[in-house]
Amino acid sequence: MEVYSPEGLRADGRRWNEVRNFKCHINTHQNSSDGSSYVEMGNTKVVCLVSGPMESPSSGRKPNSSSNLTVSISMPSFVSNSRKKFKKNDKRIQELCIFLVKTFEQIVIMKNYPRTIISISIVVLSQDGGLLPSCVNAITLALIDAGISMYDYVSSINVGLYDTTPLLDLNHLEENDLSFLTLGVVGKSEKISLLLLEDKLSLDNLEKLLAIGIVGCHRIRDIMDQEIRRHGNLRLSKITNK
Amino acid sequence: MSAIETAVSGNPKKRLSSGLTVTQKVFVRSRNGGATKVVREHYLRNDIPCLSKSCKRCPNIVKANAQGEFPNFVLETDPLFLKNGKIGKHYLILDTNIILSAIDLIESNLSFYDVIIPQTALEEVRNKSFPIYLRVRALCKNEEKRFIVFHNEFKEETFLNRNKDESINDYNDRLIREVAKFYAKHLSDVGINVVLLTNDRNNLSKALNENIITKTLSDYVELLPNADELRDLVPSEFSNDFSRPNEVSYPEYFSTSRINGGIKNGTLYQGSITISSYNFLEGSVSVPSLPKPLLVIGRENLNRAFNGDLCVVELLPRDKWRKPSSTIVDDEVINKNDVADNEDNEIIISDQERRLLTQEAIEAQNSKEIQPTGRVVGIIKRSWRLYVGQIAPNSINQSHTGNAPKSCFVILMDRTLPKIRIRTRRAKELQGKRIVIGVDSWPSTSKYPEGHFVRTLGEIESAEAETEALLLEHDVEYSPFSKNVLDCLPKEGHDWKVPVDLQADEFIKKRKDLRDKLVCSIDPPGCVDIDDALHAVKLPNGNYEVGVHIADVTNFVKSGTALDHEGANRGTSVYLVDKRIDMLPMLLGTDLCSLKPYVDRFAFSVLWELDENADIVNVNFTKSIIKSREAFSYEQAQLRIDNPSQKDDLTEGMRVLLKLSKILKQKRLDAGALNLASPEVKVYMDSETADPGEVEIKKLLDTNSLVEEFMLLANISVARKIYDAFPQTAMLRRHAPPPATNFETLNNMLTIRKKMYVSLESSKALADSLDRCVDPEDPYFNTLLRIMVTRCMMAAEYFSSGSYSYPEFRHYGLAVDIYTHFTSPIRRYCDVVAHRQLAAAIGYETLDPSHRDKNKMELIVRNINKRHRNAQFAGRASIEYYVGQVMRNNESKQEGYIIKIFSNGIVVLVPKFGVESLIKLDQLSNDANTSEFDENNYSLKFKDTNGKMRTVHIFDKCEVEVKSKLDEATGKRRAQLILV
Repeated sequence: MEVYSPEGLRADGRRWNEVRNFKCHINTHQNSSDGSSYVEMGNTKVVCLVSGPMESPSSGRKPNSSSNLTVSISMPSFVSNSRKKFKKNDKRIQELCIFLVKTFEQIVIMKNYPRTIISISIVVLSQDGGLLPSCVNAITLALIDAGISMYDYVSSINVGLYDTTPLLDLNHLEENDLSFLTLGVVGKSEKISLLLLEDKLSLDNLEKLLAIGIVGCHRIRDIMDQEIRRHGNLRLSKITNK
Repeated sequence: MSAIETAVSGNPKKRLSSGLTVTQKVFVRSRNGGATKVVREHYLRNDIPCLSKSCKRCPNIVKANAQGEFPNFVLETDPLFLKNGKIGKHYLILDTNIILSAIDLIESNLSFYDVIIPQTALEEVRNKSFPIYLRVRALCKNEEKRFIVFHNEFKEETFLNRNKDESINDYNDRLIREVAKFYAKHLSDVGINVVLLTNDRNNLSKALNENIITKTLSDYVELLPNADELRDLVPSEFSNDFSRPNEVSYPEYFSTSRINGGIKNGTLYQGSITISSYNFLEGSVSVPSLPKPLLVIGRENLNRAFNGDLCVVELLPRDKWRKPSSTIVDDEVINKNDVADNEDNEIIISDQERRLLTQEAIEAQNSKEIQPTGRVVGIIKRSWRLYVGQIAPNSINQSHTGNAPKSCFVILMDRTLPKIRIRTRRAKELQGKRIVIGVDSWPSTSKYPEGHFVRTLGEIESAEAETEALLLEHDVEYSPFSKNVLDCLPKEGHDWKVPVDLQADEFIKKRKDLRDKLVCSIDPPGCVDIDDALHAVKLPNGNYEVGVHIADVTNFVKSGTALDHEGANRGTSVYLVDKRIDMLPMLLGTDLCSLKPYVDRFAFSVLWELDENADIVNVNFTKSIIKSREAFSYEQAQLRIDNPSQKDDLTEGMRVLLKLSKILKQKRLDAGALNLASPEVKVYMDSETADPGEVEIKKLLDTNSLVEEFMLLANISVARKIYDAFPQTAMLRRHAPPPATNFETLNNMLTIRKKMYVSLESSKALADSLDRCVDPEDPYFNTLLRIMVTRCMMAAEYFSSGSYSYPEFRHYGLAVDIYTHFTSPIRRYCDVVAHRQLAAAIGYETLDPSHRDKNKMELIVRNINKRHRNAQFAGRASIEYYVGQVMRNNESKQEGYIIKIFSNGIVVLVPKFGVESLIKLDQLSNDANTSEFDENNYSLKFKDTNGKMRTVHIFDKCEVEVKSKLDEATGKRRAQLILV
């Protein structure tokens, strides 16, 4: 399989700047959570549930000592092809959780929620690359659904580099072959709230990757925005019909 | 990728807002016994063009790539017109089996233009053979051939879902037929047909049912106007009537799973096989887990392995273990009588071959030094490439006339390889010519491998054909530089000059202006690619400033350009006696980069401050501009230095250089640098007739070593600097110490014959012991020994610093801890990389990512090591050929030395010509049965042609008559020696 053919097509038939099939819903689990969402980026599928803001159980402790935003990710064994079991305290998953917490602490207006906690839990249904971006997008939607105040959307996507060509939104195969950046962008701005690089990349290429990554994030933000508005209108019409 | 089998089909398609349609490819993959279901997204699109110039619609749908380039429309509006077979103007579509088996034919310039390769076929080719895939990709870049890849599986119109229970092959065939249907319909209004070429009978009949114009390869070739030329190029397995009598049956190879299992549990060994150059029935496989190489003896055990194949071997039982043979076995002598077309030849091994085997088996049983032996049970990777050879004259059936193709044998130039059987109609015409052939297969029922004719190079012994043959044999790229490459050169051409304004851009500002220094270059006479120049001045503080200036090639060869790729691919310039194959185009090598005298040139300078003892006080690297005052030859420089009346500053500088270089050399020798020898000679060409005139052993002057010492110093200083800056990817060169086993036989021979030995504890010990090994009666003996020691050495190699630890960087021969090549960027690619890394290390420019990436460096290193080796072999082969030509006119008696002894022959080296040759026992003696071979004393006793008993020992000096003889079988002219 050619990762990127000289004719400009990737292994799955996309061109360099094309995003995979992106689908999202909010308010999917209204009975079991305060805010919920479902995100599909190609074959990567995640569900996100948000509970809170709620009272901190350990009220004895100082409120500022620890973060009052928590993220947990669960990966059932059917997520990957090989039916590998993930332990609860898998290092990789814990790492992802920390990235997510760090990102959203900056974007949620935490001063509005003193002495409370917001707990986010994510269930991965299927994994085909771009796990972290899917989680970021799902959390953004679920937080909005839960009515938690935020400065703006955070939309996220990853960008890889094949030789000198940047490739947008990598799938699992491409992630294995290329070094890539994961990028989170605030709203329609060019502010970057998440930038993660886990292997090597030469500095000269960074700008190119960021440019195409930001465009990709904006595209995702637009789709998420559409979904939120669609859902908002739906709710509104329910209320007015009553 | 292992077997893939689909289970699910008919996946739903979903249309997306972006105009794409997404579907899922679902398949079950079996790996290591388990089954995994794999689901992949598959996007279908409408913007894949047909790439035909005559198409009106497709130019409107194309999209640009990341660089903003649109695809080129390649296929000609007016393709080949064939009247026969009602084809008319047509494009070709190739099926996988055609690409895999007939790639040589497809690549040839005689036919196959305007070709469509379906993505499906390309993907299959890639899975089956990556090298062929690369060749197809190269064809697609070649503007002349007009090849395109059509991504049919991504185009919505041509994508098909896999049916339930449809095998992967049937599915792929169906996809390829769909391409043919699409093109036929798409181009019907411009009157261009498409022809599907396939050799798969099933596919062929289905295509005919679906009204697709389909041909087999051989049918199509018959329709072409130049069919006569092409017919022989059609690979053998397609010739319909190709059935061979079962003359031999080799054991079948093990199945893949058995091989994999065997290697895993340690019962089978894997390694690349080396066939002995003296005995074509003996090979050895180096296996990491065994101390000595595993022997593979006999035709059946070798089991169709070619020299250099990566194969799997199985150990034989202990009673079959043997020692390496001390006999010379030559294919041509033993199997001379094999006839390519002999129907009755049922004998598996000829009687003579069998007799030899038994004789050896007995010898082996008596000896103690038996070695484990093995047999080949599988081949992982064939080393097959194009080979050069000639048709064996006795294999042509002279009486046979008519136009039917006939089998004949081709004897390859490489004697370690078997003869190849080809079928051709032009056997008689090709007789006495050097021809290029490809190997197709070696079925277990055939004694010899089967191949096909590719092209002819010309008459045997014509200088052109021989030169081309040896370039091909050593895999040297010698075609002229392509347009893409030449486009990378400066537009000014020969008029390019160093800019006058030294503040013009940020790069030129960083250059140091060294035009006031008295720089000169010293090279061999007639040298046009001057890479290096030197200068030296005495400083006021008593120290010396010495500068080495190297041509700034990287100023013109920017990384990532076509020029750079070409250079990286060629790796090195190749020097033949009468020809030079450049790594970089002439314009750069001999003009713009070359540090010619009297003009300004860009250079990369290493400037040292050296004290009286030639110790480095400090070193500085800079890009610079220099102006060479004079270009000397070694002799001119020597004369000028020796002439006491010359008192100018330039000569004084050279005297300083000479003085320092002598100190440097002494220091190096004290550290244990080796002074080895090679029997190299130089051939002088008559300038008028270009005939080789005379042969001379290379001479060395003081000025030779002057240049050499400073180049070594520069290389070492640069190596330290770039290793410092890029600890993981610095381009370096190492020379591993030789393993003691290499010297076992040599030391044994020395002790017995001369009561001497060479010690191996360190390079210093070796150098000292070599100095001690002097035979007062024979001054040449020491040189002879140095030649033989050289052959026991490991080869030096390039590497990137991440692949070894620091102690292993050592260069054994030069006795330095770190070394690289920096001083000849015009003719070596390693130096180009070193230049770039050094430029980055001193902050001149940023380093290209490919020189910072460990894996990419690994690829570069592997290629330049291979090219370097090949270039050396090609150079030697060229000298060998010309020495042969010289000897043709000068038959004479010469002194020779015996350097190898076998039970049925001796190898003699003649220092005057630098040739060595085998003298077989039957040439030494009329009665071969009287000979006695004393293995422990390295001596051979025989009755010579005059009937007197004579004993020869190893290292013996002997008088030989040197003649040049044309070897009938290989068409190689080589030295024939006769003992007198």
